[in-house]
Amino acid sequence: MKTLYNVHTIWLLMMLLTLASYFVGEVGPGGWLAMLFVLVAALVKGIFIIRDFMELHGVSLLWRVIMYGWLWVVCISIAVAYFI
Amino acid sequence: MDSSPPTMPEAKLLPGDLAIWFFIFMELLVFGIFFIVYAVMRIENIELFNEYQQTLNRELGLANTLLLISASYFVVRAVQAIRQNHAASCVYWLYAALAGGGGFLILKSLEYNEKFSAGISLSTNTFYMFYLSLTIFHFLHVILGMLILFAVAVKAKRGAYTAVSHTGVETAASYWHMVDLVWVILFPLVYIIR
Repeated sequence: MKTLYNVHTIWLLMMLLTLASYFVGEVGPGGWLAMLFVLVAALVKGIFIIRDFMELHGVSLLWRVIMYGWLWVVCISIAVAYFI
Repeated sequence: MDSSPPTMPEAKLLPGDLAIWFFIFMELLVFGIFFIVYAVMRIENIELFNEYQQTLNRELGLANTLLLISASYFVVRAVQAIRQNHAASCVYWLYAALAGGGGFLILKSLEYNEKFSAGISLSTNTFYMFYLSLTIFHFLHVILGMLILFAVAVKAKRGAYTAVSHTGVETAASYWHMVDLVWVILFPLVYIIR
């Protein structure tokens, strides 16, 4: 399983998530569920970038809190602003 | 039997120069505030934002996202290459990343040309003010990221980095990934979510 989780598959997954987000936004059913999917896809891509591309997995807790905290705060704020 | 207390595993060091991480943090703060202000302003102008968002070229936005994600992946490969002392391969991957960034700049310029030719500017309406200022601000960061990557590629070609000494490559990579991270949020926020 560990061999499947590497930078190559992460890159492919991020490309697929991007394509899926585009199609959901363009030809999907629309509505809040579709938009939530697009936002969650962005969140997942952000986690991949921070964890595996920036290589913050295993660094001090402070820096992980700063980076993941930024991502979560931004995504949750956007979700709240869009879905209230 | 070993009676010594268990030791906590030591945290890994941040890749690259520590100073770049403070810079990245400041940049993310600015973009984060920008994103949240955009989302809040949209609440008061939902119809306007939805109407003018439809005028954006989402296909170019999609292509640009794929280009930036790929460029980030190429930078990861460059870091992996130099860690294995493959300087030539590192340079190759950095050039590939620069090509991705260059593609982004070309497509974005086409997009801006389309908008500016139609007479659209920062003062057209609130949506375009945010669209242009956010994306142009990011555009400038892509240019800076490319300049850093190019400088590192030139140094790598001259043999300045090795498997044991490659902080410069990691520093440039960290900055480039930040540029990618920001776009990964910006694209759905401005182009897709409505």
